[in-house]
Amino acid sequence: MATESPAAVTTRPAPLPRPRVFARAGSAAAPPEAHAVADASDRGARLVAVVIALAWHLVIGLPAVLGAGPGMAAPAVVAGGWLVTALVGVATGVRLLRGGLPPARRLAAALLVVDAAVFAAAGERFLFSTANWVWGGLAWFFLLVLWRRPVRWLLAVLAAHATIALVAVVLHGATAPADLSRYAMYVYGTSTLPVAVFAGAAALTALARDRAGTAAAVLAMAAEREAAERAQGERQARLALVSGTAEEVLAALAAGEADPADPAVRRRAVLAAARLRRLIAESDDVPDPLLHELRAAADLAERNGLPIELIAVGTPPELPVDVRRGLADPLTAALAGARGWARLTVVANPDEVVVSLVTPDDDGPDDSGAPAGGDGPVERLHERDGEIRWTQTRWSRT
Amino acid sequence: MDADPLESDVNAGHPIGVAIVDDHPVVIDGVRAWLATEPRLRVLATGDDPDAVLRAAPDAEVVLLDLRLHGRMVLDKLAELSAAGRRVVVYSEHTDPQTMLAALDAGAVAFLAKHEGREHCVGTVLAAASDRPYVPPALAGAMVGDARPDRPALSDKEREALLLWFQSMSKASVARRMQISEHTVKQYVDRARIKYTRAGRPAATKAALLARAIEDGLVRPEDIGIYRSQASADRPTP
Repeated sequence: MATESPAAVTTRPAPLPRPRVFARAGSAAAPPEAHAVADASDRGARLVAVVIALAWHLVIGLPAVLGAGPGMAAPAVVAGGWLVTALVGVATGVRLLRGGLPPARRLAAALLVVDAAVFAAAGERFLFSTANWVWGGLAWFFLLVLWRRPVRWLLAVLAAHATIALVAVVLHGATAPADLSRYAMYVYGTSTLPVAVFAGAAALTALARDRAGTAAAVLAMAAEREAAERAQGERQARLALVSGTAEEVLAALAAGEADPADPAVRRRAVLAAARLRRLIAESDDVPDPLLHELRAAADLAERNGLPIELIAVGTPPELPVDVRRGLADPLTAALAGARGWARLTVVANPDEVVVSLVTPDDDGPDDSGAPAGGDGPVERLHERDGEIRWTQTRWSRT
Repeated sequence: MDADPLESDVNAGHPIGVAIVDDHPVVIDGVRAWLATEPRLRVLATGDDPDAVLRAAPDAEVVLLDLRLHGRMVLDKLAELSAAGRRVVVYSEHTDPQTMLAALDAGAVAFLAKHEGREHCVGTVLAAASDRPYVPPALAGAMVGDARPDRPALSDKEREALLLWFQSMSKASVARRMQISEHTVKQYVDRARIKYTRAGRPAATKAALLARAIEDGLVRPEDIGIYRSQASADRPTP
């Protein structure tokens, strides 16, 4: 059109950023980024727990077991338990440091069996000595195998541990007041620190996840606002252009300079009306990249004098770039050769997007380019039936 | 193009009375000129107030209603008229799918976009007068794109017919694409529309559309879930 303002002749606009909006309904629905942050912040605590458990086991437990040696009731059982626990500790430590979680219930049960066996095998003489290594060291292994599980699981296992110890103390006949108070001190001393570490780590993780979730949501909102503002700006620029051309046609008609019977005048009116309708139809706050591309192609075709209608129903899901190209490119190619008028439609739902271009069929050559068929997930169809030329692309989630 | 030739049993003797409610005189004049080309239609009253127009023409069989009057969406008025049995064809430039579906839910017999032109306008009014469905392309688009969880369940063929009709605006082309007759295309589209009489609140107009569709053999009561007898439970759909 000869009346276009220079501002309107833009090149194809860059695709808008696609914001992602996260529903923040508790940590379960937190974005993956929040999980990653929580995981990283938890890593230090996991490392400390693994080091404490294994170091205690090796540096304090092992020498005591070797020192006590044959004096114990069943030294082989005590040493075997030590070995099993060491293996559990190493396997769990490796799993934790790689970011996974061990099978908590089975390992906790195995450790409780070891617990009972060692209490029985240590013998009365070594009941309260470091050779009965399960007293002091095992709590840290409970901590490892129950990492990131609910804190009540740890409390339950520690209670079982204390019960086993009490049964052993009673069965070994160590029921003097001094023995019982020693028992109480041991239980208290060996449980509090692991529980504190466990609860602290859990609280830190929850806090980190929460903060990361908040940050991600704020970012998503900012991206959405930016996209909406850009869309708004573009829309205003187009509105200015449309109003300009429509006003000119109307003014010329009103002044009697333009004759409504003149085909050129009618065409100008049709173009202005089509553009206004398209603008009114844009109801999305943040344009989808696919619609954005199609609108750009429609604007371009219209500047070459083609009245075009673009109607979109539904919001397309987030699509990979190649799918988007597969959907849009055959249409924009067909649009380049369109004569007369064009109707471009998009029907989208989360599982399917269908884009179609219909133009009048003439006797001209078929310059649609690619034949019907499909590449990848996008099915392409092109046909002319003497009445219309019909190009359709369809993507379905497989 | 799709102005269904009306069967002789409907309004054979006298012309169909139409009332036009719009707040833009130029639109009223335009629509009146369109309808004047069809001898079976007669405009009885026009104006910008639905109540005043219907007082002037209490016998109007079809009401063409602009959905936006004096800056306000009159969906409530539409529901009121439909509940009272008035056949309202909504006529609007607001063609976003939500508005169109809301109008159907409120009981509109049909929804026509203002830019859809004379043939659709005449066709819609004629169909409405005999309680028959008429689905212009824009409405087909709204129906095929309906993503509401409680939307009616459409068959694959019905969906495809709606989609292609929306895309091409030519039933002949849809028929060629689907390799069926134009009549069958119209049946699929109309059957989808009839399923929408079950959406939203009940209205006399919806019941009338449904009753006529059953009478015409377009749908069977059990197809749209209002009646299911033990005997016909596993009868295949034609």
